[in-house]
Amino acid sequence: MMRSHLLPRIIMSGILSFSLAASAAGPAPDSKPDALLGIMRTELDRAKTALAKTAPAPYFISYSVYDQDQVAIVGSYGALLASGGGRRRTADVVMRVGTPALDNSHNENRPTAIDSGLLPLDNDPAAVARVLWELTDREYKRASPAFLKVKTNTAVRSEEEDKSPDFSTEKPQNHVDAAVAKFPFDTHQWEDRVRRLSAAFRKFPDIYSSAVILQISKSNLSYVSTEDSSVETPSTLVRLIVQGETRADDGMELLRVETFQALTPDQLPSESEVAARIEKLAADLVALRKAPAAEPFDGPALLSGRAAAVFFHEVLGHRLEGHRQRGENEGQTFTKKVNQEVLPEFLSVVDDPTMRALNGTPLAGWYRYDDEGEPAERANLIDNGILKNFLTSRMPFKGFSQSNGHGRSQPGLMPTGRQGNLIVSSTKTAGDADLRKQFIEEIKKQGKPYGLYFEDIQGGFTLTTRALPQSFQVLPVMVWRVYPDGRPDELVRGVDIVGTPLAALEHITVTGDKQEIFNGVCGAESGWVPVSAVAPAMLFSEMEVQKRAQTHSRPPILVPPGFEGTSAAAADSQTGSGVKP
Amino acid sequence: MTRRRCINLLVMTAALLAGSPAVARAQDNTAPAPATSPAPPASPAPMFSAEARAAGASDSVLQAMVAEIERSKAKLKMEGVQTPYFIEYRISDIDSAVANATFGALQFEQHTRARILRVVVRIGDYTQDSYFRQGEGVADLAPNENDVLALRQQLWLATDRAYKATGEAYAAKQSLSKEITVDHSVNDFAPATALVSIEPLVKLEADATKWHKPLENASALYRKHPDVQSISTSLRFTALNIYYANTEGTLTRNGKATYSLNIVASTQAADGMRLVRSPFYMVGSSKELPAADKFVADAETALETLDQLRAAPIVDEEYRGPVLFDADAADDVFADLIGANILGAKPAPGATARTTGEFASSYKSRVLPDFVTVVDDPTQKSFQGNSLIGSYDFDDEGVRATAVTVVDKGTLANYLIGRQPIRDFPASNGHGRAAAGGPATPYIGNLFLRSTNAMSQAGLKKKLIDMCKDSGKPYGYFVETLGDQLSPRLLYRVWVSDGHEELVRGAVFNELDSRELRNDLIATGDTPLVRNREGNISGTVIAPAFLFDDLEVKRSDAAKPKLPDYPAPPLQSAK
Repeated sequence: MMRSHLLPRIIMSGILSFSLAASAAGPAPDSKPDALLGIMRTELDRAKTALAKTAPAPYFISYSVYDQDQVAIVGSYGALLASGGGRRRTADVVMRVGTPALDNSHNENRPTAIDSGLLPLDNDPAAVARVLWELTDREYKRASPAFLKVKTNTAVRSEEEDKSPDFSTEKPQNHVDAAVAKFPFDTHQWEDRVRRLSAAFRKFPDIYSSAVILQISKSNLSYVSTEDSSVETPSTLVRLIVQGETRADDGMELLRVETFQALTPDQLPSESEVAARIEKLAADLVALRKAPAAEPFDGPALLSGRAAAVFFHEVLGHRLEGHRQRGENEGQTFTKKVNQEVLPEFLSVVDDPTMRALNGTPLAGWYRYDDEGEPAERANLIDNGILKNFLTSRMPFKGFSQSNGHGRSQPGLMPTGRQGNLIVSSTKTAGDADLRKQFIEEIKKQGKPYGLYFEDIQGGFTLTTRALPQSFQVLPVMVWRVYPDGRPDELVRGVDIVGTPLAALEHITVTGDKQEIFNGVCGAESGWVPVSAVAPAMLFSEMEVQKRAQTHSRPPILVPPGFEGTSAAAADSQTGSGVKP
Repeated sequence: MTRRRCINLLVMTAALLAGSPAVARAQDNTAPAPATSPAPPASPAPMFSAEARAAGASDSVLQAMVAEIERSKAKLKMEGVQTPYFIEYRISDIDSAVANATFGALQFEQHTRARILRVVVRIGDYTQDSYFRQGEGVADLAPNENDVLALRQQLWLATDRAYKATGEAYAAKQSLSKEITVDHSVNDFAPATALVSIEPLVKLEADATKWHKPLENASALYRKHPDVQSISTSLRFTALNIYYANTEGTLTRNGKATYSLNIVASTQAADGMRLVRSPFYMVGSSKELPAADKFVADAETALETLDQLRAAPIVDEEYRGPVLFDADAADDVFADLIGANILGAKPAPGATARTTGEFASSYKSRVLPDFVTVVDDPTQKSFQGNSLIGSYDFDDEGVRATAVTVVDKGTLANYLIGRQPIRDFPASNGHGRAAAGGPATPYIGNLFLRSTNAMSQAGLKKKLIDMCKDSGKPYGYFVETLGDQLSPRLLYRVWVSDGHEELVRGAVFNELDSRELRNDLIATGDTPLVRNREGNISGTVIAPAFLFDDLEVKRSDAAKPKLPDYPAPPLQSAK
């Protein structure tokens, strides 16, 4: 389930509870971050010694402190809905009671291995130690009874299919990166820019809901464990998100989102460049409103690089997450396919969080150490079509006993195997023009009236109001009918990919020769993490689609404020949608 | 502002629309064709008076509300759904600073500015309408800025959503009313007269950041009290301005600032019993905040009482007899047992009760001793020099506040009610209150308990001892302050022999309920205490000490948590 963008609704619901504040007058981040590591280490050692005398005793404890400095500016229709930021330090205490073979994190008890709280904002050793003590003691009081329960359950239940231990053995890590790079940030200037950009939607009466969001997060992870690991590693996330929403006259919701990602705010595209993309996005939406609804179709399809990247992230990437190979309730699509062909042999897939940028574009899934303190590694997942590896955390499963540095989470949640930068590469490529030519040939060969070109696929679940069934994991938004007879391409709306999306992977016949990047944020059991997906355009000989089930909501009854008495008002009354002003 | 002007002519359009001429024009469009007479057209009376328009003209939020509510009332129409008979808008503008410290160090601080809108659209009529389930309104964020067009945009979308929900809500309500028999027919909504009142905007008058150090200093006192397990100090300063408009022509703006400081400290006795102290300040004016030294001293006192509580004996023996509640504890009892039960909240459709509270069937019955009268008076701004945060001139439904005698010489005379009628109470008495973005429900403003059987504190203590003496008890109980669910936090035995007070722990009151208050309250103190209550809706209770002649005190059977599995870290020198 990738939720590859933030909708204003999500932001709105959380707005009061966390992120947005008007001043960031908190103490400046400590100039010596490793001072914190020292305090954490001292307190961890004390906890280890003291709790060793208990029964059942923990065999592993780690402290992770996320020092986060965040800014969010949300604009809509030329005014700010929210602007602010703040600093917080979240401490996660992870505790494992029992043995690596069987501990309190077993199966559905996994959440008992973690407890979280807020740490003081500066490095007052007594105060920091005291809060860590409170959290550790509280966590022990959860973890120890949980372990006893696990032991009892394991004794009475039938034997599990995968008898892998609950925790892998890894080498201790010692690594301290430089603290988060400072960069200049002028709040008022950015507020003005967000206002100006969001005001562009005022020109489009049909796009009744829109937002421009700037998100900046500077984070520093300090990690210590009783295995003598000490890791300190920073990360930054700078995103500018643009989104617009409308509804077709038949009630179908239409949403377009554009995300720009950079390492610093200054590296974001220029205002004029973003403004141009907003115009394009708005024009897309206006065109989509009027576009015919998709018809059921089974035939050739061409995916743009971005669309293919999202498709792979959703359809393949999530199924290669390690913990899905042992969960009793998981589909385990790939668990037993190691060393078998799962893709055409000209395709290879890696997940490489160590890549900071590709062709000059920053990759959102970059990190040096994962949230279990393990070094990021390039994982060769599929090699020339053959499945070789999974995205692994420190939760072993049959045949895979080690972490490859993909244990990721948001603060407060137990890490699981997650994607970082998922990169699809191909040895059978064609240039853009050639690819289109092959696409049209394929349409003709199959005697189809048209093929479908997927220009953009939004991430899967959008967390709006609809709970989509599990099989609908991708949401194509810009889809064109491509006619073999030379007619211009025709935009259609409401396309849903059906059947088993996985089966479609076997039908990839050739790819483009340029890799495109999708930067986003991915949500799953272990929370939201930044990710990238990279892929070339792809030609599918066969893909099955249907018309999306639609809501009964109608477009707004009255014209937007400011458009009374304009042609928009007149046009609106002529839509014949059954809604009469 | 200059930057935004470059957008395009839309901003100018917005400015035009927001002004009254454009609004008036919009309304003219919907008026019946004028007769041939040169006299003003026989259009419906304008929604807002000239006074309202003039008053709202200087405020972008009010302008946006007026423009959009008038347009919606005039034009909202969907096939198969009636036109609205009533629309209301409320925008709550919140400016809030929060911070907290623990163990001597700042842990969190934030300054939040948000505007939250709520739109209610009703179809049907006052006797039966669509205010039911999804028809109870829509809440959303509104722009923080005074941009009329952007404000209208959010109001427009929320109004559209709210209106579209009315059809199904109305149908559901009607079908439900066909299924159930209604004993007493009560209207769904009470009309109210138009009210126009634009009060000055309220701002935060205290700098929250100046309190960060006192918060740290107070929470650092754990160093002197090694047995205290946790301590957290916090502040919340809030300026809330509420904008309100409805299609009856009401247009109001009012504001309120509140300032709270909190101390929460806890420990465990050697036997594991959880002991908590949580003194706080909640005031309606920055001038009434304590001095920083006083705040730190209060934290010290709280920690000292925790130390004393750890050492205090447990209440083992059951006791039944006189108990004296200090005003601080009495305020809580009053708020919980009276304040919560005098609200005229309409019960679920089909229910025969008058309200949802314990006093649903107590109208005109005795609910308190006859020496007690209870009045809720939101119009009173202060009492004995303390600002009352439950005060307001008009409520969150735009209805003028009135003083209501709730209990007259012990007899329940009135409920506090908003615009949702209950049996025998067809109209609002100005107590429709709402949290930001929430529905209006009846709530207290300033709830006063007045007593004609009042005694001094010394007199009450003497009476307590005398009563114990008469019944042969070695001691009586005095409760200074309460915790959750009216359980005592600071409870003392007052020994008959020499009058000395002995702190005890681990007790609860058995059956401290409204019946107890009615039958066993025998006297009150003569010094009412103002207690501003923290919550989503501001309210104040003002009550003196209570003396009960017959109340049961027994040992709590709450589970005792385990002690820490290892000791706290040793104290190190402060940063």
